This record gives sequence, structure tokens and C-alpha cells, in this order.
Amino acid sequence: MRHRLILNNITHTFEDGGIQRTVLNNLNLQVSEGELVAVMGPSGSGKSTFLSIAGALLDPKGGEVLLDGESVSDKNKQELSDIRLHKIGFIFQSANLIPYLKVEEQLTLVAKLGNMNKRKAAERIRELLDMLGLNHRRSAYPDKLSGGERQRVAIARALMNDPAVLLADEPTASLDASRGMDVVRMLAEEARELGKSAVMVTHDERVLPLCDRVLYLENGGLIERK
Amino acid sequence: MYLAIREMRFAKVRYSLIAIIMLLVAFLVLFVTGLARGLAYDNAASIQNMDATHFIMEKDSNHRFTRSQISEQVLLQASSIVGEDNVQPLGVKMTTMTAEGKIGKLDVTLLGINPEGWLMPKLTEGAAITATGTGQVLVDRKLKDSGIGLGTVLIDQASGLKWTVSGFVNHESFSHSPAVFLNEHDWQQLQLTTITTPSATKWTDSTYNAVAVKANTHHKEQLTAVLADAEIVTKADAVSAIPGYKEEQGSLWMMIIFLFIISSFVLAVFFYVITIQKSSQFGILKAIGTRTGYLVRSVALQVLLLSAGSLVVSMLLIQATESILPSGMPFLLQSSTMALTSIAFVTMSLVGSLLSVWKVTKIDALDAIGRTAA
Ligand SMILES: Nc1ncnc2c1ncn2[C@@H]1O[C@H](COP(=O)(O)OP(=O)(O)OP(=O)(O)O)[C@@H](O)[C@H]1O
Ligand SMILES: [Mg+2]
Repeated sequence: MRHRLILNNITHTFEDGGIQRTVLNNLNLQVSEGELVAVMGPSGSGKSTFLSIAGALLDPKGGEVLLDGESVSDKNKQELSDIRLHKIGFIFQSANLIPYLKVEEQLTLVAKLGNMNKRKAAERIRELLDMLGLNHRRSAYPDKLSGGERQRVAIARALMNDPAVLLADEPTASLDASRGMDVVRMLAEEARELGKSAVMVTHDERVLPLCDRVLYLENGGLIERK
Repeated sequence: MYLAIREMRFAKVRYSLIAIIMLLVAFLVLFVTGLARGLAYDNAASIQNMDATHFIMEKDSNHRFTRSQISEQVLLQASSIVGEDNVQPLGVKMTTMTAEGKIGKLDVTLLGINPEGWLMPKLTEGAAITATGTGQVLVDRKLKDSGIGLGTVLIDQASGLKWTVSGFVNHESFSHSPAVFLNEHDWQQLQLTTITTPSATKWTDSTYNAVAVKANTHHKEQLTAVLADAEIVTKADAVSAIPGYKEEQGSLWMMIIFLFIISSFVLAVFFYVITIQKSSQFGILKAIGTRTGYLVRSVALQVLLLSAGSLVVSMLLIQATESILPSGMPFLLQSSTMALTSIAFVTMSLVGSLLSVWKVTKIDALDAIGRTAA
């Protein structure tokens, strides 16, 4: 089975008042295609740091990240931008939409950045909005959307460029239980059906049954649940 | 571009406000520029209208026509170098006159020229003066406002000489005073009544104030070599040495430069503040894979749209204003001046956006995750 996201021996330290604090210590992770992995852990254990490294936003002090078998170390800023655009779909803790773009424009932007063919883009936008039940809200601005709708738009945006890897940082934090379940179910389906590798950081125990694996971030490493 | 335009559409009020400020500044820049050019022209119109490239003046005259005295001999020497067709004598004298049958005095500048030569202005009304006639003058149209008409007799206060107005010319002035053109004969007569003490000047038979020449650089070098006691002054230098010219232009230019700096600063502050406000947005955009170059271009495009847009509107306003300005108002805005001003304005605006551009490149994509919850 293909592993679309691989983290090898990731080590990361932060300087804190002259003291080096190791947040991630020889962390290893392989996520195969179609798999949704949940990552849990206490606050400050380094979950967001781990996700930023996996998403090519933060350069680790040691180890390497492979996306579709390709290492992201030693890439320049522009190459990293392009990797994030084409290979990674990010869903942030709070939806983080661009306030001045309508729902469909949020997706059009991604298509434009990726130089996607116009007709193909329009088709894909319709497809995604249909799938996420957002078709009737396509020309609404983010501030007119409910929290759940916003989160779904963020998911649609993350899927727009058909990335290899989906990364979500507490995507259900601002949602009620049933909406949270819906969002995670959608992530799991996406990963499974389109053969993506998905990693979700969460505090929410209720969504765990929807995930293929649950890992705990402890002492800088990922440990499988007993 | 996609982001820039959509954002401006979304935040209409915010961008309209800044556009209005820009528009007002641009309007003021164009207006003051027009005024500066207009005053410059009005001040020195007669000299600027002249087809000369250089003027030969006496050494140590500080480029001033009224201080310079030139002899017939210099005129001959100059014509032997650049050719007779390219040389014209010129007399300049600022004086006060009265019009017969009228009360009140007029400040005018007397210009002695050869009516058959190329310093002769274009007649707009009445009859031209000739090289052989006497006692006839051409005067600037502005004198009509003082009640001067065709046939009015003018009396020079200093010499007591009398001249009859035979025709009018347009846009002819020197140091803001209307010009009065005399032929060489009348000019010589005027010189006789106000004989210059021979010791005050280098030439005993000095009759003119300057010689207007059409010369290329080669000629100029030759003239400099041959005429040891004279100075070859460019037209621009001669114009800026006209009394009051430099001071007037200096203060207007200071205003224009300050307006440019103000517009640049206003834009800089505006865009800097909204860039800081939007830093988490820029972070998200970077996190989803937007290149920094794209964001920088987006900011630059907004600045460009704002400054170019407000410029276009202010140009229309300026044209409307120009048409309702009183005719006596010195205002001159040629399209070349307008184009230069516009380029400078847009350039200064872009300079003003540099601070924001720098800020945008410094924003870290990582800030979008977890920490800044927008
Ligand atoms: N830029 C930074 N500089 C210094 N220390 C940092 C920086 N970013 C994170 N840290 C520290 O690293 C540790 C891990 O942070 P991280 O954000 O990954 O935690 P987390 O597991 O996501 O926590 P939470 O569940 O509260 O979001 C924390 O102790 C944090 O203070
Ligand atoms: Mg976190």
C-alpha cells in the first residue's frame, strides 16, 4: 500500500529564554492512502507543531517529510508554496476563510493559483459544493455563514486542488456534536474515496470511531492507543 | 487580479474614502502645477515665445537682460559666426507709462526688436509695426483691460517719448508686466534720451541689452571663444533670472513636492494599517500555497488602481475647472506636463506602498494555524 505522507525521525526544538525545549523527538508516522489518522494529546504537547511540519509550513530541526515519496526539505520558498498548493489541503482550527470572497470564489482562488482550466474548475466547484451541501450558499460571504457551513467551505477549499494529503487542526472545535460528526465523516469519506492520506488533530473523543487509527502525541513521539 | 479587485469590491467604503483623499490630492497637484506653469509662462512669456536658443549678454550681468549692455560690434561678431539669419538684437527696459487722456500709470516692459526679424510677435489685431516707421508700437492684449485701444497714445514717464498703439499681440509679458514692442529706430531714440554713462559699461556704443541667437553647441563654443567680454546664456537660464521668476516658481514647486510626499505618505499609512489588520489573512493565503509574489502584486495593483483612478477623475475635474477659470488667471497645463505629473504621482504612490509590501513578505504562514484565530 502506498504511503502518501511519511514523517521520518522528525525532531523539533523551540528556544525558550535561552533553553532549548524539545517538542518533537524522533517522531515517525506513515499514513497510507485512504486512511484517516486522529492525533490526540494534551495542550502544548506539540500537535500543531507536528501538523505544521507535515504541512511544509515549518522546517523541522531534524528528520524529513515525504509527500508522495518526495522530500520537502531543501526546497525554496516558492517551491514550498507550490507544494502546499498542489499536494496539501489544510483545514484550520477556525475555518479561516478569506472574508471578502464569496463561497465559490474561495474555491476559484485556489483553482486560479493552481492555473486550473476554467471549465474544469467550474465543474469541480459545483461538484464539491454539491457534495458538501453548500450549493444554495455559493454566493454568500463567510460572515453570513454558520460555523458548520464555514467549516465545510474550508474542507471544500482544502479538496479543491485534489491534494495528496489532508491535514486538519481541530476541525470540530467550534462545532456542536452532530455537526462535528458530519465534518469528520466527510473527511473520512474523502480520504477513503479519493485515496488521500488524512491526519486530524482533535480533542473530541466522540469522533474517534470514524477514524482508522488513533495516535497519542506523548514525549515528542506518536504512540498507538492500546 | 482576482484578490485585489474582489477585496476592493467588498470593502467599498474603506477604499472609496482613500480614493477621495487621493483624488483631492491629485487635483491639488495638477492645479498647483498648472498654476506654476501658468505663472511661469505669464511671467516670462515674451522671452519664452522667442525662437532663440541662447542670449548673448554682458559678462557679470547675472543673466539679467536689464543689467546687460551689448554693443553693435558684438552683434556683428555673432552674426559672422552663426550667420546673419540666426542673430537678432534685443532691447529690454522696464518702465512706467501713462496713456494720454487716462489717469493712472502702467508698468510695462519695452522690447526693442527688428520688426522684420524672427523676434517679431504674431499680430492679433490692428496693424504691424515696420522697420522704417516711427512712433508706432505693438502692445500686449492685457493692456486692453486698462482702457488702451488702437490709436491710444502712450507716454513714457522717464523719457517723455510718445508712441501710438498700432496693434495688439497675445501672451506677451516680461516679469508679469505687459510687453510693448518698438522697432529699432524708436529704441535708439529711447537710448539717446537715457544716455548711459560710458564708464558704467564695457562698450561705448552700447545700444542693446542682449542678442538673441539660434546656435548649436558648436556655435556656442565659438561664440564663447570669440566674445571675451560677453556671456552666452541659455534661454532657460535667462528666463529664471527674470526678476521674481525663481522665487515664485520656487515656492510653488515646494508646494507641489510636498503634495507628492503627502500623497505618498497617506497611501503608505493607509496600506500599512490595513496590511497589519489583514496579516492573518495573508498568513492563511500563504498557508494554502499562495506565493508571496502574488500577494505583493495584489497590493501593488490596489495602489495602482487607486492612484490611477483618482488621477483620471481629477484630470477631468481639472479640465472642467480650467474652463470656468477667469481668463486673466494664469493657468497652463499642457498634456506633456500633465503626463509627467501623472507619472510622478503614480510613482510616488507605489513608493508609498513599499512599506506594506515589505510587511507582506515578512508575514509568516505559520501564524495562520492555531494561534491567530480569525
Ligand atoms: N514559535 C514558538 N516559539 C516558542 N515556543 C513555541 C512556538 N510554537 C509553539 N511553541 C511551544 O511548543 C509547544 C507545542 O506547541 P503546539 O502549538 O504544537 O501545541 P499543541 O499541542 O498544538 O497545543 P494545543 O492543543 O493547545 O493547540 C508549546 O509548549 C508551545 O508553547
Ligand atoms: Mg494546537
